[in-house]
This record gives sequence, C-alpha cells and structure tokens, in this order.
Amino acid sequence: MDSRPKILSITETLLERFCKESIVEGVLGDLEECYFENINTKGKLRSNLTLTFQVIGFLRPRFKKKSKHSNIEAMLTNYLTATFRNLNKHKFYAFINIFGLIVGMSAGFMILQYVYHQLSYDQHIADKENIYRIQTNRYNQGELSTQWAAGAAGAGNLMYQNFPEVIEFVNLHSSRAQISYDRKYFELSHPYYAAKNFFTFFSIPLLKGNEETALDGNMKVALSETLAKKIFGDEDPLGKIITQNDRWDFEVTGVFADFPEKSHMKFDLLYSFDSYITFTSERAMTGWNWDGFLNYVKLHPGTDPNQLSEKFDPWLTELRGEEDQENFRIELILQPLTKIHLISNYFSEIKPTGNEKTTYFLLIIGFFVLFIAWINYVNLTTARALSRAKEVGVRKVMGGHRNQLIAQFLFESLVLNLISICIAAGLVILLYPVFNQFVGNSEMYTWPEAPFFWVGLVSVFFLGFLLSGFYPAFVLSNFKPISVLKGKFASSNSGNNLRKGLVTFQFLASVILITGTYIVYQQMNYLQSQDLGVSIEQTVIIQTPVFQSDSVMAIKDEVFRNNLSSNPSVLEFTTSSEVPGRSPGWNAGGIRLLSQSESESNQYRVLGVNANFPDFYGLDIVAGRTFDDSFGAEESNVLFNESAIRQIGFSDPIDALDQKINFWGDTFNIAGVVKDYRQESPKSAFEPLIFRYFPSTSGFYSVKLSSTNMREAIDHINADWEDAFGAKIFDFFFLDDHYNQQYEAEMKFGSIFGLFAILAILVACLGLFGLASYITNLRAKEVGVRKVLGASLRQLLRLLTWDFIKLVLISIIVATPLSWFVMNNWLEDFDTRIQLGLLAFLIPALLIVVIAVGTVTFHTLRTANLNPAETLHDE
Amino acid sequence: MKGSNLGELEELVMLSVGILYDDAYGLAIQREIKDRCNRSITISTVHSVTSRLEEKGYLSARYDGATPERGGRRKRLFTLTTSGQAQISKMKQMRDEMWKAIPGIALGNG
Repeated sequence: MDSRPKILSITETLLERFCKESIVEGVLGDLEECYFENINTKGKLRSNLTLTFQVIGFLRPRFKKKSKHSNIEAMLTNYLTATFRNLNKHKFYAFINIFGLIVGMSAGFMILQYVYHQLSYDQHIADKENIYRIQTNRYNQGELSTQWAAGAAGAGNLMYQNFPEVIEFVNLHSSRAQISYDRKYFELSHPYYAAKNFFTFFSIPLLKGNEETALDGNMKVALSETLAKKIFGDEDPLGKIITQNDRWDFEVTGVFADFPEKSHMKFDLLYSFDSYITFTSERAMTGWNWDGFLNYVKLHPGTDPNQLSEKFDPWLTELRGEEDQENFRIELILQPLTKIHLISNYFSEIKPTGNEKTTYFLLIIGFFVLFIAWINYVNLTTARALSRAKEVGVRKVMGGHRNQLIAQFLFESLVLNLISICIAAGLVILLYPVFNQFVGNSEMYTWPEAPFFWVGLVSVFFLGFLLSGFYPAFVLSNFKPISVLKGKFASSNSGNNLRKGLVTFQFLASVILITGTYIVYQQMNYLQSQDLGVSIEQTVIIQTPVFQSDSVMAIKDEVFRNNLSSNPSVLEFTTSSEVPGRSPGWNAGGIRLLSQSESESNQYRVLGVNANFPDFYGLDIVAGRTFDDSFGAEESNVLFNESAIRQIGFSDPIDALDQKINFWGDTFNIAGVVKDYRQESPKSAFEPLIFRYFPSTSGFYSVKLSSTNMREAIDHINADWEDAFGAKIFDFFFLDDHYNQQYEAEMKFGSIFGLFAILAILVACLGLFGLASYITNLRAKEVGVRKVLGASLRQLLRLLTWDFIKLVLISIIVATPLSWFVMNNWLEDFDTRIQLGLLAFLIPALLIVVIAVGTVTFHTLRTANLNPAETLHDE
Repeated sequence: MKGSNLGELEELVMLSVGILYDDAYGLAIQREIKDRCNRSITISTVHSVTSRLEEKGYLSARYDGATPERGGRRKRLFTLTTSGQAQISKMKQMRDEMWKAIPGIALGNG
C-alpha cells in the first residue's frame, strides 16, 4: 500500500480522532471510494480539493466523538453560564466594564494604527537599511543658522569620492519650471532634476523605458504615470518631446509608477541631472556654498553610520580650510531613509513631514486610555468581589480547587475582553474614515495595513486579558469559605490600597490629559491672536508664469499690470519673490558691512520686492524710508528688518541707515529698516531679512481685492491673466487661508489630543461612578446608623466623599509637575509661546475635582437620603 | 424520539434507502439522490441525515460488504426499521389523500 496517496492517510488520522467510532469506518470507506472515483474522472488536483472540502464537512458537532474530557467542557459551559448570569444580574457594572473596555481599546487602536503609520514610511525601498540622506546644518560664528533637508550641492558626490564606505550616491534639485506639450501648459507638483542612477539606487522599476539609461544624458525627462496620462492620454509617451519654459526641449525617456503615499518622496517629473549641469555649472556637483540639493548615499552594508559621521568634521576642515569650517561651519548629518518622514522637518523638504514628538505624545495618550479602561475592570471586579464571595464559598465547599477558581475568573475576564475587543475592532473599522478625516489626511492610512491590525488586536487583547484578569482572579479565589459563608467578610486592607492606587493613577492620567489639552488650546489661541505685523486679508496670490526669455516676460507682464490697474475689483497689487506665510527661498551667506572682515559675514534671508511691497503688506518702517520708484537708482538700496540690523551689529536701527553692505561682491546701501513681522508663522523666530528692490516680476503677484465677492473678482483677474499670458496656468491662492495652513498640524494635534483626553476622562469617570456607587451601597447600613444617631447630611456627605477627594488631590499633586515637564517640552518648539502659569494647572485641576465630586456626590446623596428604617430593617 | 415529522431531505434519504434495499450505504444514497432528483448533496450531509434518522429510530445500520476500492473497509449499510417503513407509508398515504382532495379544475385538467 505504499502507493497510497498521503492525503488519504491524513484524512484517516484526522477523522479517526474526531468522529464517533460507530460511523468512522463507513465514512472513511465512502470517502476513499469517492476519491478514487474522482481521480479517474477529474484528475488528482480536483479530487484532492474535493476530499479536503468533504473532510471539512465532517468536522461538525454531530459526528464528534464523545470527548474523554467532557467534564472540562461541562465546566467551561458552567463558567460561561456563570459569567453571563453575573453580567445579567449586575447590568450596570457590566455595562461600565464593557463600555470602558470598548472605548479604551478602540481609542488605543486608532492611535496605535496612526503611530504605526507614521513609523513605517519608505519601507518599500529595497536597500532601505543602507540608504541615508545627507542633511546640511550651517553655522555662523558657531551659531546654528540654517538646517537644510536639501543641503550643499557637493555633499553626496564628494563624500562618495572620499569615503570608501559610500558605495553610491544620488542627488536631486527641485525645479520651478513650467512645462508644455502641444501648446498646453501642465501643472506640476514636485518636479526635480535627478541623477542618472536615481531609479536603480532606490530600485524603482520603470513602467516604460529603461531604468539605467532613462536619466542618463542631457535633456531627458521621466514622468509619473498620472502626469504622463494627463499630458499624453493614451498615446505612448516614450520619445515625445515636452518643452520646459517655452524654451528647452526634453525627450520623455521613462514613465514611473506614482510614488506611494507612505514615502517621504513624491515626484511627478524628473529631469536628468545632466541638464541641470548644462543650465548652470559643474559646481552643482561640487559646490559647498550652494544649497538646495537632496543628497542620498548608500553605505557599504555593515557600515556604522555614527563612525562615518565622526569623520565628516575633520574631512570638511581639510577640504574647506580651517577658517571657513570654524566661522561658517557645515555639519553633515546622515538621516536613515526610513526615519526621514518622522525626524526631519527642515528647509526644502520634498513634502510635509511628520512630527516625532506628536507621534510619541499620541502613543502615550493611547496607552493612557487603554490603561484607564483596564484599571476600571480590575477595580470594579475586585470591589464586587464581596457580592461574589458566597459563590466562591459554595464552589470551594463543593470541592472546587483554588486553581479552578482562578481559571474561572480568568475565563470570565477572557470572555469580557473578547466581547469588548470584537466590538472595538468593529468600531475601529467603521470609524476609520471618520478618524482619517479627523486627523485631516485622507490618505493617512487605509485598511490594507491589516497584518499590523491583527497582530495589534491580538497583542492588545492578551495584554489586556492578563493585566485585567490576573489580580481579580487571585483576590477572588483567595476567600476562606468558612468565614465567607458565615457572612463575616471584610475586604482586605492591601486590596483596598491597591484599588486606591489604581484610582489615583486613573486620575493622574486624566489630569495630565486635561492639562495637556488646555495648554495646547491656550497655545493655539495665543499663536492666532498674535499681531503678525503684516496684513494678509482679502489678498490673492498668483504665481508668475515663466517665459523663454525675460524680455518676452517683461512685455506680457506690462500688459497684465495694466489690466490689473484698470480692474475695478483690484484695490492694489505688488510683486515679490516670496509672500508672507512662506519661507523666503533665497538664503544668502557672506553678507557683511563694508567695514567688516569676511569672517564677520553672516547669512540672511532675502526677498526681492517691488517698491510698494512694504506699503501693500502694511509693514512698519522704524527708520529711514521705504523704496520709492521716483527716486531712481533704487537697485542699489536695500531694506533690513530689525533682526537683520541686530545681526549685522547695530542695536539702534537709526545707526544702520546709509551703511554700506557687501552682498556677494556688490555694494548696497541700507535705506530703511522694517519692523520685524511674521514672514512665516509665529511658530518660528523672527529671521534676519533683507529686502532687495526688484522692479521686474518673478515669483508672485499679490493682489488686494476691493470687492467682497471673491468668485467674481477671481474670474475677472483670470480674464486679465488670459489676456496677457494666454494659456499659462493661472495658479492662485488666498493668502489668509494659506497662512493659516501653517497652524494646521498643531490644530490637528490639539483636536486629537482633546478627543482622546475626553475619552480617557469619560472612561475614568465611569469607573469612578461604578466604584463610588458600589462602595456607598456597602456603607448604606453605616449611614443608616449614623443618621439614627443624628448625623447631618453635610457630615454624611463629607464622610462619604472625603475618601475619593483625597485620591483626586493626591493625583493632582503628582500630575502637576509631570504635566509641566511634558508640556514645557512641547512648547519649546514654538518661538512665540505662552508661559506656563499657575492657572494652566489650576483650571484643569479644578475641573477634575468638580467632575469627581459630582460623580461621588450623586451616589452619596442617594445613600444619605435613604430612610434608615429601610437600610436597617433586615438587621 | 425527537419528533416524528420528516424533512424533505430526510424523506428522500429514506426512500433511497428503500430503493437500494441491500446496498444502502452513504455514497450509494448520495448517487441515488443525484440520479433521481438531480440534487447534489455532500457526503457529510448524507451521513448527517442518516445519523439523525437513526436517532429518530427510522433507520438501522450494520457493517458489511468490504471492497478493495474502499481500502478494505466495510460499508455502513442502512435498512428501514419497522417504524421507518410505517413513517414513509404514512407520508405517502397522507400525500395521496391530499392529491385526491384537490379538485381537478385546480390542476387545470377540468
């Protein structure tokens, strides 16, 4: 019988174990007969499959062998019955327990899922462990001045040439050019110039074209799938020519799949880097004082990045000279690829990154909520131990062993946890879209992250089961049957203390969460009520188009300006290289007074503006004058802001007037000083700003509208635009919206924090409510006696509530320094921040006292108002 | 006895057992129902129904008739018990009477 198929012997073993003896022979015979019949008619695979389903069909209770362990089954059935009877009998406590667990688990889950999402960026890249991005920090006279995500031009290349540990590098540079095909212009979100080995470096396969050669050579371009579809429709994009800035023709040599959302990278168009070198110079591969280049390096597997980083400083000193490295230190930092999303938030990121602190804050909150729910379970179960003492006594007398009792109570906890987690999982799945929206990122996470979800579900379940199940099980099983059945029973002191400890912890967590929420909201309010020093209302910003030459642009610009001037819905307009609410992209180093030495020079942010820019934006001039077109030769004048004046070495703005500065070899005259205003949001510090006079337009038109009918005004301006620029893309936004977007992350954080704080407090209060109701019920007789002896309601209230108030007070005392520490840490990220006064801690503390007292008083009042005759009549 | 009513499938199985008389085992019953009623039921369903009928006392089972294609195992052969025979006869009689009670016009052959 050695040719007998294996599946048959498996079937035999399985069914012989499972099925009743009376039928098993007949069944196996039938199956085997059927199997051989099938093998002849349907082939092996299908008969195997059929057999498998048939066997599964036999695994039902009807055919089941009478188990030898049937008493275990009976016992479990009994436990289950006892559990449900018990839940049924005490519906109120059951509700608090299960509801708390559900809320806690759902909240914990959503947060875990969010945190997991934040922590798992760029996991799809094949060589991710060995890839690092080089972040560039620049120092001025020992002081950190700028932190670039896209740093020095030569960093990657030179590192590659110098260190054998670096086996490959890739560099990218962003582009602001516009492209057209067949006279149509297309909007780009993230166009970059990329090194020729970009696709092989990140092992990104091309949908069309060759990964190795697509970006190799001059004037080549690869497009994302979406963009290619938008430009070419169903035509084959390969070999087509698209035009950059009406001037340069690029050949499409590749199409790549859109980047996944869970990546810090997002490109829709990649020009070959060689083209950039052709447009600029070889220094794009070697320059040290030219920033804006994303550099990625791949290290030899097994290289310790820390050891490598230590070699950077000596190497840079050797390369740049001791003086340069001392005065204008460059620090290069290796950012592990998969962490970039979380840890990096510097100049010129590709797209908005995450926030490490927020992520970990949320993780802590998630666990708080979960722990609070578990504590509820432990508290309520042990507190109610008294009412179950008789059950335990009887079980023990009937021969129940302690271990069996432990098993019983663990089983109960298992059942409750199971019910809760099933409902919670359902809720989480249902609420995903809502939570996503709440977090504010529709692409935040999607359901297919299922493996993590299930692993998380199971581990949360077991953790909860163990944490919440063991203690009550041991307490309950410990009762002595004789004393219990005699009715003499008092809960042990140590149990009481533990319960008190747990309640204190719950309140501790709640106080921290309330304080946190309060402070986050205060800070947000404070930020938004800041005087920005710049007026951003009713202003539309339009990005300027790019033309093949400046002279063409100048002609068309003139037309547009004339159109705007005669447009009745336009109050005034100006142009500038950047607008408030955005970081001034131009960061220029080496600027100093003529009288200063080169080593005293500094970095400044530079804005190129039209003469009326300061007036338009309502900037205050604290000294000197603003630009004026009628003055002539304004090109050699600059305006400084107060911070810039201080940085260059004057404490009084007046002293700086008419001082001459050296700006990259040219001499400029400081004509006026502008009061510091919030160029970016109040989150960041005032930065030294220099305004240069650029009468020609490049960057943005800022248009102030007179009419309140925005729609109509925009349509009107759009008509002006088309008249002047034809098919060029009319890319506009409202400045106040745009400016406020800068607070969005904090707003989101605030609302998430608030939401989970409320959930935590809700669960904690439910627990307190249950506990208070139980304990006051226990003391009903005592209250009755006291009443009979003449105690007043006030005295009774004090007696009953004081125990709880004490716990709340302790938790407030412990929580205050903790929350001070945590929130102070959070506030450190803000340049403009509230000071943590006493009030920030008093108000949440008061709130929690009120909630706690309210909860407890509700019960004590009821107990205290009971007629003593009723509570005492059965004595 | 768990109630004496027969479900439709139970009735079919009992009739098949009757038809097969001396060779009524699981697979044969399944084939019989397939051939006569054109209904595919799984082998586990057949066994489930027969065991239910055994519980009701309508079928009895014995082991006999081993063949090589069954791996040398005996067949579990079913026969109708006396009460089983009585039950299906009663069923048939009841149906016949009901058929007779239908006026011809209701069946469209007035």
